[in-house]
Amino acid sequence: METVEMQTLAGVIDKKMNRQLKQYIDICARCAICKDACHQYVGTGDFKYLPARRAELIRQVYKKYFDKTGRFVPALYEARDPDDNLLDELYDSTYACTGCRRCMYYCPFSIDTAWILSVAKAVLIAAGRGNEMLGQLADAAIFKGDNVAMFEGVITSGFEEIAEEVRAITGNPDHGVPVNKQGADVLYVALAGAHSIRPAAVIFEEAGESWTISMFEAANYGYFYGDPEKARLITKRYIDEAVRLGVKEIVVPECGHAYRVAEFFYEAWSKEPMPFKVSHILEKVDDYIKTGRIKVDKGLIEGTVTYHDPCQLGRNGGKFEQPRDIVKAVTSNFVDLTPNRAEQWCCGGGGGIVAMEEFKDVRLKSGSKKVEQLKASGANILACPCENCRLQIEELNEIHELGMEIWQVIDLVVASMPLPGNKKSAGA
Amino acid sequence: MSDETKIDLELDLKGLLCPLPMVRVSQNITNVPVDGVIRAVATDPGAMADIPAWAASTGHEVLSAGKEGDLFVFLVKRTK
Ligand code: SF4
Ligand code: SF4
Repeated sequence: METVEMQTLAGVIDKKMNRQLKQYIDICARCAICKDACHQYVGTGDFKYLPARRAELIRQVYKKYFDKTGRFVPALYEARDPDDNLLDELYDSTYACTGCRRCMYYCPFSIDTAWILSVAKAVLIAAGRGNEMLGQLADAAIFKGDNVAMFEGVITSGFEEIAEEVRAITGNPDHGVPVNKQGADVLYVALAGAHSIRPAAVIFEEAGESWTISMFEAANYGYFYGDPEKARLITKRYIDEAVRLGVKEIVVPECGHAYRVAEFFYEAWSKEPMPFKVSHILEKVDDYIKTGRIKVDKGLIEGTVTYHDPCQLGRNGGKFEQPRDIVKAVTSNFVDLTPNRAEQWCCGGGGGIVAMEEFKDVRLKSGSKKVEQLKASGANILACPCENCRLQIEELNEIHELGMEIWQVIDLVVASMPLPGNKKSAGA
Repeated sequence: MSDETKIDLELDLKGLLCPLPMVRVSQNITNVPVDGVIRAVATDPGAMADIPAWAASTGHEVLSAGKEGDLFVFLVKRTK
């Protein structure tokens, strides 16, 4: 690699490093406490997945170019160039990271390795080594957003089919899926799949909510890819739509990263205040149950139910109690996983890793702690809000023959609602 | 079109939720030769927008996309 190219990549690090990140790099005590917190290191024993080691690669380049100790005595400070060898290692350790931030929770200095790795992603993208699949997913979402007219017909006909299913479940001919309804209170920003729309529509309609859906979806692979501009563009589509429709609130689906992007990142990326409230769908559902806007029956779900906190929703989003309250409202047989809430083990499926075939082996090995937890719970039903977590846990369930049913929380809620067309029943 | 087109690879994407149908097509596109065709069958209606959007943004070509009963069937040609 040319010297000038390495200087450019080092420049990306310098541009992205704010005071907080520099401090992280300086204060890491190499105590390695984080190694026992990272499901990938625990599941593989591979040094490159040790959290502090992942961050170390960025530190080495930073030292070489921007710190006088590293500039003058590089060997002593392990200062390195961002050459092909370093970038190869950086790619593996960065894109494999699920961004669960469990390492940060246990680090005595709360060092946010996932944040440091967002700098690593910027370096990799600048070097033309961004993950191709995540980049394609982000570009496809941007293309869809730019060419809504091209897709409006197929998306709307999908909504019509879902509306028919909603009427069949609720038995109410007036129920449906309102599309682009001006002046609705709530814009539900779903995922592209029908599974994230159908149960939400049943719940909104039964709760008598003033709601609408639009052509835009919440999944944001620009965020996983590591390109804030792509991530901002994908989010901006539904923010603009919410402004146009005049809604008071955006509700994001169960998906963990979609919630974090809308609630915590968009304002920073766009440098504009969000003109409405952002809620996670489980906050709404919890409220509907507690205020009696929807009726749930504890007797309709058979078996023992447990709950997995997706990292983006739980540890990183602070939503621990509402999902549990919902699950406890639909069953008398709830058992928690151990550990849980902020200490919950990452299942190994976050950060877009389920879409990256090259990490399949580490992904499945890194699920070992989740498998242990699920076995120890004795539950036969798992309620799990995040799509990526469910994909991972369904695969673990099959490989390890756990014999569990993995449910979206809103599907479990619909299954527990005494509705005439409710055929789906958990644990039966 | 589908009657005469030579299919190089059949992908069964039934039961996969979006965006996985698109991910599987993308992962398999290099498993057919340039000008080769993948026939993909999905059940998630979201694929009707996702797969054409992926093709348009990567430069591959969707020869046809349509509904056959409960299934969404795509013919995707590798262009490069
Ligand atoms: S736990 Fe914190 S201080 Fe210790 S090695 Fe890991 S990142 Fe560094
Ligand atoms: S954020 Fe999670 S996956 Fe990434 S290094 Fe920390 S513990 Fe490991």
